[in-house]
Amino acid sequence: MGCSSSLPDRSSGRLVGPNSENGGAPDSKNLRVKLVLLGDSGVGKSCIVLRFVRGQFDPTSKVTVGASFLSQTIALQDSTTVKFEIWDTAGQERYAALAPLYYRGAAVAVVVYDITSPESFSKAQYWVKELQKHGSPDIVMALVGNKADLHEKREVSVQEGIDYAEKNGMFFIETSAKTADNINQLFEEIAKRLPRPTAQ
Amino acid sequence: MDANFYDFLDRMRNPASLDLVRSIKSFIVSISFYAANPENDAKRVQDFFSTMEAAIMEHPLWEAATAQEIDSAMEGLEKYVMTKLFSRTFSSSPEDAKMDLQISEKIQLLQAFLKPEHLDIPPLLCNEASWLLAEKELLKINAFKSPREKLLCIVNCCKVINNLLLNASMSENRVLAGADDFLPLLIFVTIKASSPLCHFADHSNLRTLLSANPPQLHSNLRFIQLYRRQAKLVSEAAYYFTNLVSTKSFLLDLNAKSLSMDEIVFEENMKAARQKNKLTPKEPLSASEAMKSSQDHKYQVPSEKMQDKETSGSNYPYMEAEAGDLTVRDVEILLSTYKDVVAKYTNLSRAVRRHPFSKTEIPVSSVEGTSDTLSQLEGTGAPSLPGG
Repeated sequence: MGCSSSLPDRSSGRLVGPNSENGGAPDSKNLRVKLVLLGDSGVGKSCIVLRFVRGQFDPTSKVTVGASFLSQTIALQDSTTVKFEIWDTAGQERYAALAPLYYRGAAVAVVVYDITSPESFSKAQYWVKELQKHGSPDIVMALVGNKADLHEKREVSVQEGIDYAEKNGMFFIETSAKTADNINQLFEEIAKRLPRPTAQ
Repeated sequence: MDANFYDFLDRMRNPASLDLVRSIKSFIVSISFYAANPENDAKRVQDFFSTMEAAIMEHPLWEAATAQEIDSAMEGLEKYVMTKLFSRTFSSSPEDAKMDLQISEKIQLLQAFLKPEHLDIPPLLCNEASWLLAEKELLKINAFKSPREKLLCIVNCCKVINNLLLNASMSENRVLAGADDFLPLLIFVTIKASSPLCHFADHSNLRTLLSANPPQLHSNLRFIQLYRRQAKLVSEAAYYFTNLVSTKSFLLDLNAKSLSMDEIVFEENMKAARQKNKLTPKEPLSASEAMKSSQDHKYQVPSEKMQDKETSGSNYPYMEAEAGDLTVRDVEILLSTYKDVVAKYTNLSRAVRRHPFSKTEIPVSSVEGTSDTLSQLEGTGAPSLPGG
């Protein structure tokens, strides 16, 4: 399992103050996006996010790192910025019924499984079905096979992931939070797929 | 702590803000013309906040104000309005009180036997000192009347848990497991914090009072959801808020399958806890005791600090109490207080009738209908509206 244990700088996400680390209401150039993470416990959801948040070395970007809520802003090539507000969910079975409270209003859902665990892949499929039934209709969904560095223990083939994602109109990627492989690509690809709000 | 609020009050004293003051007062009066209904009230309040935000942005007193300054004014406004409307809007329906009671009863049963391992909380995260700190933050929720401050109590509680997790990952090299670790801890802390038998390290009277007041989990959450300015219930605060909503929901639905515990053992524990609760009514910490000790020691219930003494009815100890706080032992005091109030009211009505000014009196029926309005106007402590 591998999140590295060094700690990022913490900026205290103050409640007080205007709505706006990103300067007021989001506009078409500066998106603010609620992203919910779903997946079995132990698949490395939070490791992926920590990798992503720590991997951005822009010292000017404001980062909020909590144990389960994180936010990070990325700049895209077309000079827009996307601020991801990442909501982690508890993956244990006993909390499954609570998930709708978290994905309500989310623009993005990232469903994570562990390529060495077929159970976690079935659980991922369960979440996809849930989201299709109860999530907002224009939610952007990504299917992520994590722990891609553990080739020798692989039990879910790349093709299975691709096929399932394709059938369900999702974006698919395999990542390794341990080696940071494909972590940034995951978030950049999500950012590209976001529907752009029409300017008011 | 609340510089926003004092700044807001200062600006409202400026003659230039008279138009705003009038709008605020007339809003507070006007809402009492409608039957209390949480959804409708919330819609009116939220619409009013939006209207006022626009008015403040256009206002000469805030000319060239930064977004931050406008926001501070809005925070002040939210606190002012919601403090005035608190008794109307907080836990106002019987359903809310019922739900609070249901949760607090469930929690009380769980307190009797639930251990961290039943939620698979690893020993490494069993840090009593941190938990205590988190509990104290959560318990403060009932000391505040504004949605912002209540929400802040939740956020602060969650941040203590957050720090515990971050520290464990740093010093103990535990892999950060995010929400998988966070939610169970919040659930456990919520259960502990609601305990009437919760022992704090220092046995100060204030602590006893706080722990004697069940956090009214449901009512507090609903109040924040409905009345916190919508633009502010987002992002990190919304995340922590959602986690406490989850906690509430988890506790309500909790059954044998929700825990790492044998089903039969669970049922036996619940049964034993129910029996124990019947045998020993929560002795030393009933509402009446808490109120009495608050008087004996000239200690104020924290929430009383925030309101005008004249209108708080501090002579009537149950003004702050909720149905769920009461025990059979309170009946006696309630009855004597009731007799006292009725006697005073009867004498007062008699005096008013005899008094020559009684001709200008408003008919009794409308007095009843507007009693809220009148007390609210008095409560504002500022000049009344011209023309009523």
